[in-house]
Amino acid sequence: MAQHNLGTVISFEFFRTITRRRFWLGTLAFPAAIAVILVLTVISNITTNSTADAQKSAQFSIAYTDDSGLITDQAAAMFGAHLVSDRQQGIDGVKEGTTDAYFAFPADTATETVQVYAADQGIFENGKYSAVAQEMISQSVLQKIGSSQLATMAQHAATINVTTFQGATEAGGLNSAIAPLLFMLVFYGLIMLLAGQMVNSTLEEKENRVTEMILTTLKPTTLITGKVITLFMIGLLQALVFALPVVIGYVFFRDALNLPALDLSHLEFDPVRMIAGFLILLGGFSLYTTTLVAVGAAMPTAKEAGSFIGVMMALIFVPFYVVGLVVSDPHAVIVEIFTYFPFTAPTTALLRNGLGTLGIIESIIVIAILFICAAAMLRLAVSLFQYGSISYTKKVPLRSILSRKGG
Amino acid sequence: MEALVHIDSFRMVFGDNTVISDLSFDVRRGETFGFLGSNGSGKTTTVRALLGIYRPTAGILHINGKPFSPEDGSRLGYLPEERGLYKKEPVIEIMTYFGRLKGMGRAAAKAWSLNYLERVALAGKAKIQLDKLSGGQQQKIQLGVTIMNDPELLILDEPTKGFDPVNRRLLMDIIADQKKAGATVVMITHQMEEVERLCDRVLLLKNGTAEAYGTIDEVQNRYGGRIVRLKYSGRIPKSPHYSVTLEENNYAELTLAEEIDEALILRELFDAGVKVRGFTVTKVSLDDIFLEVYGDQNVAYHREMAGV
Repeated sequence: MAQHNLGTVISFEFFRTITRRRFWLGTLAFPAAIAVILVLTVISNITTNSTADAQKSAQFSIAYTDDSGLITDQAAAMFGAHLVSDRQQGIDGVKEGTTDAYFAFPADTATETVQVYAADQGIFENGKYSAVAQEMISQSVLQKIGSSQLATMAQHAATINVTTFQGATEAGGLNSAIAPLLFMLVFYGLIMLLAGQMVNSTLEEKENRVTEMILTTLKPTTLITGKVITLFMIGLLQALVFALPVVIGYVFFRDALNLPALDLSHLEFDPVRMIAGFLILLGGFSLYTTTLVAVGAAMPTAKEAGSFIGVMMALIFVPFYVVGLVVSDPHAVIVEIFTYFPFTAPTTALLRNGLGTLGIIESIIVIAILFICAAAMLRLAVSLFQYGSISYTKKVPLRSILSRKGG
Repeated sequence: MEALVHIDSFRMVFGDNTVISDLSFDVRRGETFGFLGSNGSGKTTTVRALLGIYRPTAGILHINGKPFSPEDGSRLGYLPEERGLYKKEPVIEIMTYFGRLKGMGRAAAKAWSLNYLERVALAGKAKIQLDKLSGGQQQKIQLGVTIMNDPELLILDEPTKGFDPVNRRLLMDIIADQKKAGATVVMITHQMEEVERLCDRVLLLKNGTAEAYGTIDEVQNRYGGRIVRLKYSGRIPKSPHYSVTLEENNYAELTLAEEIDEALILRELFDAGVKVRGFTVTKVSLDDIFLEVYGDQNVAYHREMAGV
């Protein structure tokens, strides 16, 4: 019957959560915001590109002087620019309205500034002058190089692939860090989004005075376990919903969004680090969930539980105060403390695991710490709920629960 | 064979406060048992310990021959004093959920719930969120959840709290139906007329111990037995056979000594020249017994008010 009730609890808790309008408003708010940003980005990029193109090919009368000797006749002809004898003549032409713009190319365009004098067309429209001046230089340089390969090399950085070795084994580098670091991202996302719900999951029974009815039909262990599993399922659902616009954006609008063309074939999935990352994520999520559920069982109201949520949130960010050390000296004392202290372990260990500085033995110890603490916290949460959640209007003193467990 | 509910030498201590000391009683299968006591006398604590919500300091608390476990909760109907349900869920979902927790299938739980809602005139509220219902309507839902799956044992803590007289009657009918269907009922209440009407046996809890325990007749006999309600004119004579417990203008209540024949009392009154216009023999009410047992609790307050 206990097993049957676990399924009943999970289905009730899960479906009542996902059938709430509030849940979907909260869950969809994030992807909706992302979608709005994507649309704005696409529109902005299209506008910017067309504006840039228009500016580059903008037609207006140009006079120029060239102390560098860089500007070729062909490049000048391309933009209808004519050479003037001196700087003053060029500026006067603009002032008198006989030419729209005057470009003064200095002797060394690499170190000195190209001066542009032009008829004012407004803040945004004025951009066309510098765009055309830049394009005149680019075209002139390309013509002087005379080789498309050299021109490409001059314009773009070369593609360089670094291969390093740890002993005789090829090291994965950044490509092997990305996948395990995603576990840290998932951990943050889940805790940030679900912390409130974790606390409220037991507070609700208390605030609604359902506790006694529940405790006579259901073992508290079954109830709490069911709630924790439900939170896992809801977290997974939310992660999928959040990921959806990113995936859609990446697959269908990559060009419009100027997303880096990440070549997934170069990503490396080190099985040891992936398994360790997954288990640290699971253990960390379990520990935080059971802790926040215990807080919910001990506190009389959501308001009073709020301060504890703040503390828990701070703990997952604390390791970032020493992120430099985590990267440069992962065996520093403070990093080791954060690695093994249960509430800072998930983020510190996930970061180190991603960067490849958490050894197998260290991973096993961290995972063991997280699961043991999560199990202990689950027991405490169950006891708090069983013996404390009928203290409807006051905080449950931890000492009385522990002494009850002992006696 | 052990009674359905068996409590022996139960003791409950919270810190330095002994709430229950050496309490023993049985609730027999099929009976309606009144568990009475003033506020703070330890009734709810006893029930919570019986149901495993509190861990007893000492003693035996058995249901069906063993300590209660939630796994045995499928045939228990418990209406707690502090009660509530999931307020943001539709009525039918809540009832179905509790039905399933009590071992019913989803379809059976839903069908039972709809049938119950029909009976308590809430058929149209099945899909309404619970907190949109009035307090009385929510109480009906709570009662429905309590009696799902034909409970063998019903424990009702202040069952009529929050009910108007019409719904109180409905509640009593439902309890009577459960009893007829074979349920054992334990009622914790301050409504003495309900106890007199429904209960077979009672226990009066005072300061954590049983002040009185037995059938209603036995308890009434212990606290004054029979009373003569007398309408009269004249002067009531003194007699070793009764004591005058209330004397107003042409009305008095005489508490009779044990075993005395009521006819003898009437004869004494006639002989003393009392003109008797009404002579009714009743037993002392549970209300009066309650006042007698627990009346001293507010003595300090009354003294203070009187300036003594």
